Amino acid sequence: MKHPVDRRTRWSALAASTALIALGLAGSATLSPPAAGSTGSEAEEKVTFTVGLTNQPDSLNPFLGIEAESYEMTALVYDYLITYKAEDMSPQPGVAKSWETSPDGRTWTFDIRDDVMWSDGEQLTAADVAFTYNRILDGGPEASSWGSYLNSVEKITAPDDVTLVLELSEPNAVLPLLPMPIIPEHVWSEISEEEVKSYDNEPPDVVGSGPFRIIEGSADGSTLRFAANPDYWRGAPHIDELIFRIFKATDPAVQALQKGEIDFVEDISATQVDALEGEDGITAITGDSPGFDEIAFNTGSVDLETNEPIGDPNPAVLDAKFRYALGSAIDREAIKERVYQGDGTVGSTIVPPLYDTYHWAPPEDVAFSYDPERAGELLDEAGYEMGEDGVRTMPDGSPISELRLYARSDSETSVDVMAFFQEWLADVGVPGEVLTAESSKLTNIILDGEFDAFEWGWYVEPDPDTMLSYMTCGQRGNWSDSWYCNEEYDALYDEQHSAVDDAERAETIQAMQEMLYLDAPYLVTMYSTIGEAWRSDRFEGFTPQPNPGGIMLLQYGVQNYLDVRPVAGSSLGDSGINGALVGGAVAGGVALAAVAVVVVMRRRDRVTADDRE
Amino acid sequence: MSNRRSLGGRYILGKVAGSLGSLAFMLVLNFFLFRVLPGDPVRTLARNRLVSEKQIAELTATLGLDQSLPQQFVTYLQNTFTGELGLSFKYRQPVADLIGDRIWPTLVLVGTGTLLATLIGLWIGVRSAWNRGSRFDKLSTGSSLTVYAMPEWWLGLILLAVFSVGVGPIPGIFPTGGLISPGVDPTSIEGVFDQAWHLTLPIITVTLAYLADYSLIMRSSLLDEMGQDYLVTARAKGLRDVMVRRQHAVPNAMLPSVTLIALNLGFVVTGAITIETVFSIPGLGLLSTEALEVPDFPLLQGTFLVFSAAVIFANLVANLLYAWLDPRVRA
Repeated sequence: MKHPVDRRTRWSALAASTALIALGLAGSATLSPPAAGSTGSEAEEKVTFTVGLTNQPDSLNPFLGIEAESYEMTALVYDYLITYKAEDMSPQPGVAKSWETSPDGRTWTFDIRDDVMWSDGEQLTAADVAFTYNRILDGGPEASSWGSYLNSVEKITAPDDVTLVLELSEPNAVLPLLPMPIIPEHVWSEISEEEVKSYDNEPPDVVGSGPFRIIEGSADGSTLRFAANPDYWRGAPHIDELIFRIFKATDPAVQALQKGEIDFVEDISATQVDALEGEDGITAITGDSPGFDEIAFNTGSVDLETNEPIGDPNPAVLDAKFRYALGSAIDREAIKERVYQGDGTVGSTIVPPLYDTYHWAPPEDVAFSYDPERAGELLDEAGYEMGEDGVRTMPDGSPISELRLYARSDSETSVDVMAFFQEWLADVGVPGEVLTAESSKLTNIILDGEFDAFEWGWYVEPDPDTMLSYMTCGQRGNWSDSWYCNEEYDALYDEQHSAVDDAERAETIQAMQEMLYLDAPYLVTMYSTIGEAWRSDRFEGFTPQPNPGGIMLLQYGVQNYLDVRPVAGSSLGDSGINGALVGGAVAGGVALAAVAVVVVMRRRDRVTADDRE
Repeated sequence: MSNRRSLGGRYILGKVAGSLGSLAFMLVLNFFLFRVLPGDPVRTLARNRLVSEKQIAELTATLGLDQSLPQQFVTYLQNTFTGELGLSFKYRQPVADLIGDRIWPTLVLVGTGTLLATLIGLWIGVRSAWNRGSRFDKLSTGSSLTVYAMPEWWLGLILLAVFSVGVGPIPGIFPTGGLISPGVDPTSIEGVFDQAWHLTLPIITVTLAYLADYSLIMRSSLLDEMGQDYLVTARAKGLRDVMVRRQHAVPNAMLPSVTLIALNLGFVVTGAITIETVFSIPGLGLLSTEALEVPDFPLLQGTFLVFSAAVIFANLVANLLYAWLDPRVRA
């Protein structure tokens, strides 16, 4: 070389040495955590259970969060007066040891435990419960989330630390279920109704009484970390730490489970469950979830003030006999196999069979089964006779115009089901066309009554009262999407809502389902499932809800977080730390290689230049 | 000479005023644009949750949607000028705070990716053009086009499957997503390295995805310059080949690339939605798409205001830069 070291090569050398220093730092920095971990025996035994969620919680403020994930976080941090039993989701004592009802059903007295402590050391008393409930009763943002559980409750008082009294204007059959989180009065009394609207309730100042304490994370972040409450009144959890990682797509979440970065993955597809089933150390399930999917009809959209019809429903779908006949034209088994990949249960009524106290199973003579001939006969009987062109006519002899079958464009399932439905309708001589609209747009179409049928679904709470209310006349223009209105049904709804005897109530609820089945505002297609998978080589102790056949996490109640325990003898070593070390080394190596390339190229620049010179 | 290089005050003022005008227009448009979207935020948020009309009325009042449209517009302007940008419907936090939390991952991810793509892309472009038809040219043009043609999320998923889960002899050393390992303090040295380790694959994906943009434009604009007489003159003066390229050819070929760089810098804040999705990075791009589902008006208005302000600002910078690079633009 003519010029041993010029300015540029010196720069390159400097860059290379910087990269080397960085590499060294990366190595030492990432080396330190395992070293720290192995020195203390306490740290070595620390058990961390990591859950991958595929949906983001929206708020950790129990009055604001409405996503299922937010409820889960709330249930880990707070306690409830009466909660759900893990096995069958029936009401179970929480912070209330026992309760009494007055003979007229209008006064409820709860006996509150005296051994429940807030995480700041104060005792949880009946005053805290009364404070929480009164906040909900007083209206404002608190009422929008939880108000429905205090239906007809007029007064809430705490005469002493262990007694809570609810006074009602009329009996409420949903009680004693009170699944609202209890918040500490000494913390929240300083947060006004106006401040609650934007209060994030995030670490480090969260005071709760539940089985876990949130120590890190925010609702819109990518990780949430919880520490076990060793003094929890129902017994300490068997894990020390609980971590939720939020994945924005399900494929990477499944890969993280395979790799062992996470121990549990929530809400994956049936296809992903199939793919995971053969893998060593992983258990994958599709669990029954308390929801159903349905094909709904426009049973009579009206202007609620004038009671005049609005929209333009096909006159055929306004006829209950026509709708009921179509129930036999649908091949639900084919929907299960071809749209739901064989997972789930074919549907019947709006109360899923996993709520066996309330579910009504249609007897064989009225139950729908795939039978196009029977559908044809029923249509003939109702006056919809087959025309010469293979298309049925209205009872008055005019041709049936095409039914507008709406599918939700944001759901593949919805589009597929409606495509099948269109074919099956054609088989029995009813013309239809599939239209798609985004969920949000479909809502407007439904409210305007400008549809004949659509596909959607609902989740049903353990107490079916809410779901049943959606089919009452009063919910038209609000949550009713079929515009169903039947005074007899409404009378039964009121009857069950204030029923004092549980068995009688269940009977009424079953009669309501029978009524809906025959009037067919909804043709329930499927009871849906949720896919879950976990590292069964590391963790055990989950109980499905319902048992058997149900899901493991995002249940009603958080029993499984109390029960989950490491498999004896399994290694819970965090491969992530080693990964960090190797990863850091590789990142450093790549940087070094890049610098080397630059150096070589620079030299070659000079060489060519020299050559040309 | 100095006169030609200095920018006219009127030119600068004109451009700045134009940008402010665009910004004001966006401010107004932003409000009405999202209210035309189908869907009712209250119904989306309340579906399957809130039963009674009373509860829904409470929610409507909490979100401020019970006000008349002109009233809402005034509130929107007030919120914008106080810098708070209103409360998100979904997260119930000030939009400015949410944007503040989410903008950093996006800036680091897309910013670093864009910077690397620019530097490497321009370098490849110059090199391929200067040695047109060489093996390097064929290889780099071919491979950058191939990567460019891949959907970004697919490229990301492949990198994820290979380098974070591991295939065959390749160990899975990178994390499958997220920004930082749980329990690590992001401000510590360990935290900084942990974040770098988490962001390596996503940044590589962004870089690869954007690379061809720069390399191909630089290559073709430099090829245009290479036949020019002034290069022959420069060589005739006895300049070294590198000097000819660096001081004469490349500066004249830079203009199209400057446009592209300026435009893309404006779009850095809008994020790389698909890449953020694959690698579960809580960035600004995802925040805005999630807000669309509700629709979360304050959050949409806030994010789009930031997006449009960034693009308008980048354009302003580009305009001023042109004038400085090429005096003909001012005429």
